[in-house]
Amino acid sequence: MNAFDGPGAESPITRLVEAFHRLPGIGPKSAQRLAYYILRAPDAEAIALAEALIEVKRSVVLCARCQDLTTQSPCRICSDGARDRVTICVVEEPLDVRAIERTGGFHGLYHVLHGVISPADGIGPEDLKIQELLARIRDIDTGVTEVIVATNPNLEGEATAMYLGRLLQPLGIRVTRLARGLPAGADLEYADDVTLGRALEFRQEVG
Amino acid sequence: MPTRIPRVTKTEAIVLRHRRLGDADRIVTLLTPARGKIDVVAKGALRSRSRMAGHLEPLTRTEVVLAHGRSMDIVTQAQTVDAFTALHRDLDRLSTGMYLLEATDRLTFEEADLHTVYDLLHAALVRLARGDGLQLVARTFELRLLDATGFRPEWSQCLSCNAAVAADDAAWSPTSGGVLCATCRSSRGGAVPIDSKVLRVLRAFQALPYEEAARIRLEPELSGHVEHVMHELMQALSEREMKSAHFVATARRAATRVAELPDDDDDAAATRW
Ligand SMILES: [Zn+2]
Repeated sequence: MNAFDGPGAESPITRLVEAFHRLPGIGPKSAQRLAYYILRAPDAEAIALAEALIEVKRSVVLCARCQDLTTQSPCRICSDGARDRVTICVVEEPLDVRAIERTGGFHGLYHVLHGVISPADGIGPEDLKIQELLARIRDIDTGVTEVIVATNPNLEGEATAMYLGRLLQPLGIRVTRLARGLPAGADLEYADDVTLGRALEFRQEVG
Repeated sequence: MPTRIPRVTKTEAIVLRHRRLGDADRIVTLLTPARGKIDVVAKGALRSRSRMAGHLEPLTRTEVVLAHGRSMDIVTQAQTVDAFTALHRDLDRLSTGMYLLEATDRLTFEEADLHTVYDLLHAALVRLARGDGLQLVARTFELRLLDATGFRPEWSQCLSCNAAVAADDAAWSPTSGGVLCATCRSSRGGAVPIDSKVLRVLRAFQALPYEEAARIRLEPELSGHVEHVMHELMQALSEREMKSAHFVATARRAATRVAELPDDDDDAAATRW
């Protein structure tokens, strides 16, 4: 018998293992390994990790404009006067903002949907930050003229892009979609910078 | 010598859905003619350089080579046979296609013989892609899917006493899956009145071959009611909310010309309901 199958479900070790197991991509074996590592690590290291977790939950909020993760709202990009304010690039996840920023090829603003229309996973348009996007665009002062939909080039990303096109085109907004420089079914997060840069350059009108 | 399970098999399949497996892999749910509904692993499918990913997207008919694995088979090759690309040019067709996939997934089980279901789904996707009426394709597919999976709804006889039910005095219950006569309706909970036109359309769609059903022309309002009844029935049978049914309606509402349903073809000889 070892510490991991010890005094039942209430033990602190079991709690930690279960907490790790809930993380994406962490199986039961990895969860045990991580918990064991923390257990043997110097106190300072474990406390630093705990504090980092608490800090991130306390200080990171959603930007009131673009819905990106930020420590100050509006975020750095939304408050940057040098950025082109008439173009909004819509992405699925905060990581996609980082990926597009790395290309250095886009100077407008962003909007993070926090997901994509995926009925098979129980996610509809009402579960995404679409109302927030509409509110931004309807606000006369923002003067947005183009929305680039940079959702992933797969079924869900496409359905989301077409749905946004249907909502935004009647408002007189030019709605474009990233060109299919990316292979179908891929995840934007894994795209290399050259491919992603080219896809941005050759974006197209939504049908 | 004992017969061995073949290590590699080749099959055509329609991709129903997929979900993430770890950082780079996917579990893909396939509908196949011979093996029914199966989950398979597509390694590296989330990487942008994956050559397989595009061939394993939902709403694609594809040919796959599967290597026998311990718990799940592993896709070693995938090649698109039909991507139904026309669906990707029209949101209403795309959302309806997604709905057909979810309906199929919800009403089928692994290890069931799904030959008929495969043929039905394939035919429906082909019709959807070539521009047949959305309501026609979706409603006839639902009714035939329900037949094939043992959930055939009863639109003519009372579920309780078997008496013939008059279309203009009928109630129906989504959970019971059919109509009840005037006498029996109070004895069953959850029965609500059903419009006589809606009921006549459902009876016709259930009884007629596709080509004849295609001659029925539905006014947008009526076809909206028929859709509502069928969506309620499908959700009751699958025992939870079907987001894709919702999305079909939401997407249509968002259309600029809200009043006009994307509908069945103009056909001078069509019957008007
Ligand atoms: Zn912002």
